[in-house]
Amino acid sequence: MTAVPAPRRVAFPAGLWGMLMVIATEGMLLGAFIATYFYLRFKAPVWPPHGDHAPPIATTLILTACLVATSAPMAIASWSAAAGELAKTRLALVIALIVQCGYLAYEFKDFSDELHKSNIVHDQYTSIYYTLLGADHAHVFFGVLLNLWLLGKLVTGLTRYRVRAVQAIAWYWHFVNVLTIVIVGTLLSAHA
Amino acid sequence: MTVKRLSRLQWFGLFGGAVMLAAGHILGIGLTYAECNVGGARWGIPNDPWEMAILLTAAFVMVLAAAASATIIAQTQGTSYDDDPPLSRIRFFAIAALLANVLFTIIMILDLVGNVFNVVCRQG
Amino acid sequence: MVVVTERLTRLEHQWQARPGVLGWLTTTDHKRIGLLYFWTTLVLFGAGGVEALAMRTQLARPNQHLIGPETYNELFTLHGVTMIFFFIIPMTTGAFGNYLLPLMLGARDMAFPRMNALSFWIFLGSGIFLYVSLAVGDAPNAGWFNYVPLSSRHYDPGHNIDFYCLGVIFNSIASTLTAAQFIVTILKSRAPGMSLNRMPLFCYAMFAAAFGLLFALPTLSADVIFLFLDRNVGTHFFDPAYHGSALLWQHLFWFFGHPEVYILIVPAFGIATSIIPAFTQRKMVAFPLVAIAELLVVFIGFGVWAHHMYATGLPTMTMIFFGAATAMVVIPSTIQVFSWCMSFIMGTARFNTPLLFIAGFIFMFVMGGLTGIMFVAIPFDQQVTDTYFVIAHFHYIIFGAAVFPIFGGLYYWFPKVTGKLPFDRPGQIAFWIIFVGTNLLFFPMHILGLIGMTRREYTYPSGLGWEPYNFAETIGAFITTAGILLLLGNLVYSYFRGVESGPDPWHGPTLEWTVPSPPPDYNFAVIPTVRSAYPNWEPAPPYEWLDRGHQQVESEGVDGVIGDIVGMPHESPWPPLLALTLLGVFAMLVLGKFEIAGIMGIFTLLTLVGWHSKEPQES
Repeated sequence: MTAVPAPRRVAFPAGLWGMLMVIATEGMLLGAFIATYFYLRFKAPVWPPHGDHAPPIATTLILTACLVATSAPMAIASWSAAAGELAKTRLALVIALIVQCGYLAYEFKDFSDELHKSNIVHDQYTSIYYTLLGADHAHVFFGVLLNLWLLGKLVTGLTRYRVRAVQAIAWYWHFVNVLTIVIVGTLLSAHA
Repeated sequence: MTVKRLSRLQWFGLFGGAVMLAAGHILGIGLTYAECNVGGARWGIPNDPWEMAILLTAAFVMVLAAAASATIIAQTQGTSYDDDPPLSRIRFFAIAALLANVLFTIIMILDLVGNVFNVVCRQG
Repeated sequence: MVVVTERLTRLEHQWQARPGVLGWLTTTDHKRIGLLYFWTTLVLFGAGGVEALAMRTQLARPNQHLIGPETYNELFTLHGVTMIFFFIIPMTTGAFGNYLLPLMLGARDMAFPRMNALSFWIFLGSGIFLYVSLAVGDAPNAGWFNYVPLSSRHYDPGHNIDFYCLGVIFNSIASTLTAAQFIVTILKSRAPGMSLNRMPLFCYAMFAAAFGLLFALPTLSADVIFLFLDRNVGTHFFDPAYHGSALLWQHLFWFFGHPEVYILIVPAFGIATSIIPAFTQRKMVAFPLVAIAELLVVFIGFGVWAHHMYATGLPTMTMIFFGAATAMVVIPSTIQVFSWCMSFIMGTARFNTPLLFIAGFIFMFVMGGLTGIMFVAIPFDQQVTDTYFVIAHFHYIIFGAAVFPIFGGLYYWFPKVTGKLPFDRPGQIAFWIIFVGTNLLFFPMHILGLIGMTRREYTYPSGLGWEPYNFAETIGAFITTAGILLLLGNLVYSYFRGVESGPDPWHGPTLEWTVPSPPPDYNFAVIPTVRSAYPNWEPAPPYEWLDRGHQQVESEGVDGVIGDIVGMPHESPWPPLLALTLLGVFAMLVLGKFEIAGIMGIFTLLTLVGWHSKEPQES
């Protein structure tokens, strides 16, 4: 019988594969929402329909840029965790969390205000608009919860498990940021 | 050819054609929706040239992927699919990819011919 | 010898299952979870079967009123939903897949054992959720594909469709978790030396089904989310009066629905490709082509969805794409049929019960496949869509290509699971009864469809010439039921009176036949290495005992290289608790109590936090 070799990593651990599966399934779900947007759009003579409006370009792009920029501190957190640098990991996570919470707070207020102005039940445009945007915000919200949980875990230091958790959650955030770009692009395309 | 090169060719053979089938299929259907629906028609996208471009590009990549797979099969003569990896694994996936890409190319050709000769926006 | 006994004792101690009911409730052992799935799906199969028999009894003669139209609507809807979501998928993936995948891969358990348990408890919760709807008289009633506008609030104001929407999402969480589980396990938990070209075809089949589930289920979820919003919030996704689209439902549904039907049969292909080598004592002809064919069927199958919509007024130029893909999706299935038949011819076939069912499966699958090819022709499809011809087609495929291999698989792996040999003669008799019964039940449906009987009719007038076919089908249904009862009864009898089977009664090719029957909690005392796709026929020197803890090997990459030793969880209460909170969420949603559903959602999140409070041991 051969001796057990020292562990060596040439491929992703199971935990990261698990996060890839989450990304695949959620990506497909939001992909179906986006396909629905375009399907309904192709059927409509005017888009947005009369009485509806496309989201404002400038504000939307600025907010999206802020959110997407949090991929940088998340990536830094991931590398720092792999290198065993606890303080740096925590700092990067806190920075990311502050921006993400700020984004979410603004969007929550903005979403409610818009709903008051133009109800979700107005027509097919508002139906898909608020559902798509709401789904994106829900994914950001869940990511914020994950970051909070992670910071809680890191209070007592880094372990192999927690390093993988940081890496997996960083991947989740990269996915959410790409998703936000695609969704914002879809919603802004109504200006075209 | 080195094992590393063969391995890269093998992955291209396995996934290149498949990715192009997914893209060609979705874009091809999307184009027909743009053509045949009031919302898309106002963009004035010419259906035939775009369909031909998308489907021919996809078919070209599929043919390349099939050629890559055939090359690997030729280069790994004497290896059985059941032998020790990596050469056996590379040969195994090349055999699989050759079949897959032939099928994908036929789908593209059928799509192309059908679309060129059947440009009706009503149910036939 | 003393050292071996000591090591076995240590392994048994490390892997020993918690005794009693609590042990079963908190289990994370893939074998126990497989058995839990088996028993639950068997009960649900019975429910689906009773629904079928009720419908056949109603249709035996014209102008009968044993069952009214409203109840009939619920029966055919529940029959479809039960058989697809609550029998075939969980039986093939949840029962067979869970029990056998780690054993065939040379692993001690799945990659995520607690998530495996969670899949089962969520599945059970979703089954209870759906059948509560029947108990309260609000069962789904718009068909298993639930088309709008019939399923909209305007035409179906009760809770029926809300049960459908939520039940289907609830169930799909379980299947999605199973799919993710299978993919990661196959990529990370193979025995040393098991490169992907040496992986058993059963595992390829499960891999294909898992990819299908992962990418198809979200579209169904999106569809029913939109319908739930339309019905309960007042949105207009499907409402033409507000420029929504009823066809949108169909596109999204069939984008899921067609891969779903391939997901139904591909694991069964995997069962067939396990039984054939064992009972012909010959390696599968064209092994690489069969492996890729299983993946191609699902992959190309994602591109054919609108062939269910040929009669909806889609533009011809759109339908071209679906016709082309549908024509080509036949080829991988045909390659597999040829390979199976050549393996029969070139090997030494022993027609015990398992192989008989596979022979029956090939016959039924080819019959169903031939009518499937007929549907590729759009003009023909437009004539027979929504008639009994379609029902004949898909029942030949589903019953023939999914249920027959399940029955064969039950007899094939019965010795491994129970340690007893099943009595073969009653099994063979049961096969012939079921074979005659199903052909009598489903063949006349082709003719009925061609002479005009549409599907989902609760009764029909006399004088149309439909009577003899319907009557024959009802007789066939009862004959089939008798055969199934004999089949299952024989297994029960064999469990109590059967001869000890030993570890390898069939001289099977794969790794599960190298361990005792039934397998110990730790599966493999010594982690095996693999140097062939048929490791029991071409064994390799074993790898290592791995008895220093509750551990298994994590492998790397496509070539099955050893990567790491990982600690595995013991029994855990979190999976059933999480499933219970989710049941609470869905129950509150169907009652329209959205705030309480939100509170239950918070409980779900808290349970998730609790789940992750204990970390695995650092190695």
